[in-house]
Amino acid sequence: MFFTDLVRALELTVADTALLVISGVIIALFGVTVVFSAYAVVLRYRHAQRDRLWAELRNRWEKPLLDAIADPESIPALQRLVEEKHQLYFVNYILEFSRRMRGEERAVLRTLVAPFLDEIGRRASHPNSQVRTRAMQTLGTLGLPAYEREVLAGLEDPSPLVSFVAARYLARAEFPQYGRAVLDSISRFDGANFRFLASMLASIGPTISPELRARLADPDRPDWERAVIAEALMMQREPRSGDVAADVLVQTRDRELSIRLLRLLGTVGRREHLEAIRARSTTDDVFVRAQALSAMGRLGDERDLPVLIAGMDDESPWVALHAARGIREAGGRGVLFELAQTELAYASLAGQVLYEEVEP
Amino acid sequence: MSEAVWSVVEFFNYLVLGYFVVLHAIYLGTSLFAFGALKRYALRLKSLDLGDLITSASAPPITLLAPAYNEEATVVESVRSLLTLEYPEYEILVVNDGSKDETLARLRQAFNLQEAHRVPTADLPSAEIRGVYRSRRHPHLWVIDKENGGKADALNAGLNHCQTPTFCAMDADSLVEPEALIRIVRPFMEDASTIAAGGVLRIANGCVVSQGRVVDVRMPKNFIAQLQVLEYLRAFLCGRMGWDALDSTLVISGAFGIFKRSVVVEAGGYSTDTVGEDMELVVRLHRYCRERDIPYRIHFVPDPVAWTECPESIRVLGRQRERWQRGLYQSLMRHRVMLFNKKYGRAGLIAYPYFFFLEMLGPLIELLGYLSFTVTVLAGRADWPFVVAFLSVAVILGGALSLSAVALEELSFRRYPRISDLVRLFVLALAENFGYRQLNAWWRLQGTVAAIRGKEGWGKMTRKGFATAQTPEAT
Repeated sequence: MFFTDLVRALELTVADTALLVISGVIIALFGVTVVFSAYAVVLRYRHAQRDRLWAELRNRWEKPLLDAIADPESIPALQRLVEEKHQLYFVNYILEFSRRMRGEERAVLRTLVAPFLDEIGRRASHPNSQVRTRAMQTLGTLGLPAYEREVLAGLEDPSPLVSFVAARYLARAEFPQYGRAVLDSISRFDGANFRFLASMLASIGPTISPELRARLADPDRPDWERAVIAEALMMQREPRSGDVAADVLVQTRDRELSIRLLRLLGTVGRREHLEAIRARSTTDDVFVRAQALSAMGRLGDERDLPVLIAGMDDESPWVALHAARGIREAGGRGVLFELAQTELAYASLAGQVLYEEVEP
Repeated sequence: MSEAVWSVVEFFNYLVLGYFVVLHAIYLGTSLFAFGALKRYALRLKSLDLGDLITSASAPPITLLAPAYNEEATVVESVRSLLTLEYPEYEILVVNDGSKDETLARLRQAFNLQEAHRVPTADLPSAEIRGVYRSRRHPHLWVIDKENGGKADALNAGLNHCQTPTFCAMDADSLVEPEALIRIVRPFMEDASTIAAGGVLRIANGCVVSQGRVVDVRMPKNFIAQLQVLEYLRAFLCGRMGWDALDSTLVISGAFGIFKRSVVVEAGGYSTDTVGEDMELVVRLHRYCRERDIPYRIHFVPDPVAWTECPESIRVLGRQRERWQRGLYQSLMRHRVMLFNKKYGRAGLIAYPYFFFLEMLGPLIELLGYLSFTVTVLAGRADWPFVVAFLSVAVILGGALSLSAVALEELSFRRYPRISDLVRLFVLALAENFGYRQLNAWWRLQGTVAAIRGKEGWGKMTRKGFATAQTPEAT
């Protein structure tokens, strides 16, 4: 209304009105320019100040920290050096440092930082999910088991990133008691990468293996979840999972689960599992077929060579490659050597697979 | 001229003014999206332990595909940088695309190559392979020597020999930072539907390089290169970050991007009949996945960095920009079915129309605008409010966008630590609008015209080589 009244009052033409509108936009955008420029300058100033403070604090804490790691008796002396206003800086400093530490040294860091973690504990329920994520990382690294309530609650956080980070820090062999909770939360991460999730589950350690086997055998669980579990068992090289894997392989028709089961069998399977594997060596799916031939190569012997040699002539180069590597695994280097000397289409492939073994 | 003609010219002037305003409003809009996204990203980055990711078993094996054509000046240093990457499992496949210079000889000598077998795993069309070599010193370094066929053809040859689930397309003349791979692969680890991710390119001119690594980041001394530093900041931190925030990434730089191999092979690999094979592939991947209802995500990741040498002469820069514009035109025209087509989601409804109307047709409108503005002023037909408005949009708003890029750089990565660099970037943000920007529009217009005429080929690029630090090996 105001704008219409203004146009009428000033008796503006259409061109003038257009110019007025455009000028308004230009002024607004010009304002943005000024804001951006000022923002860049302010940021540079703040960053420079922060960098100076960080350098000063690091300098102040570095030697006492090394002393505390060497002799835990000197922990209180370092704690007294930390002023109240610098407590969060100190926690971040220790968090950064802890990435290079393992075992007892990391335990010293946990003791060292323990009096300063209450604020981080409160941040675990901060309204901003990024702050909560950071809190999960800090508490997961330096605050377990004291702050287990906060980190376990993170598994149920509405933000997938928060629960993901909480799960990663809970899934550690040094805290096997949290393994079950991590496993229960896995359904929240159904969009994540298989290997990433499997690696997380595998890192819980052997205490979780019986539960993994039970869940792999459970047909009521989603196929993708069982596929992740199969991959985790493969990463753990869990020797007792071969039987379960072979049974599930006979029952399932799911592609991803079949591939992961075949990889698992190729790692921990035995000869009695070969029948289940052979049945998949003629399937239409290229990747299932390739993994089946690969597993056959690892578990089989000369009797499987004809199937594997035929596999080298497969229309899919992936199947052919896995078959050739399977021949090598099955002890057929002599066969590969002979094939490499022929004029057959896959002679070069035989040469390549033999060559892969040679460290140039 | 009759009054009717002047009316048309006047109308056109306002049209151009409106175009400038819309263009810059969109640029600044994407900058604001980028601002939010970068802030979130910086916080997110703090919650991830890169060392933990590097050592975890979950990082997918990657093949680096580095096509090289007449890169004798930089190829050894670039490959050295690839050999120092911090990543659990990767192979390097340098594809010598029929170089006429000493590229292959330098590689053979520097890395002690010997002939080897490597059977293709796909059959994408590519020129004849002349030989396959493997380094004795670095078993994960391979060189494929082939007949010349262009960059896309070389990438296809590399893809045919790729044996990992993901591959990284790059230029053999770029320097990838050690942590760049683990940073760029992160979306693949977090989201199983990720099929592609692009990283950031920064200008290496002026920087000090040692053992294949940029060890001291400096602004280039050459003015043309300085302007490109600003352009790259704007393109990556404002543009691509903003488009990523809108989930509409249409471009992943051919110099540094990572892809899911199976999807790219199924989609037909790189197109050999365009000079913009990087953009064409990404646009095609959008189409391919949308038309088959395949869930997919294409990301831009702002912190993995590859350093590249940019042209320092107007002539070479002009050729490069003309080629980029031809690539843009070819990619967009080939997939014009996406224009305002809701079947292609935000890529078809937002990103494609932006690139089509503002990036592809923009230079024509901009240059005609300058022309009609000049004619109007010279004929004494322009009133001063219009002149002020036109100059404001043409100069101040261009500067606004560049300044926003500088602010975003300060917010996020601060790669240029010297105060003098910041001041220089501020000055460049305003200076580029006087001449350089108009020149750029001219090159791009030439590119569009050349594409319409069906011009092919890349044009000659000359490389100076990186400024190497005085290390024992270098001396």
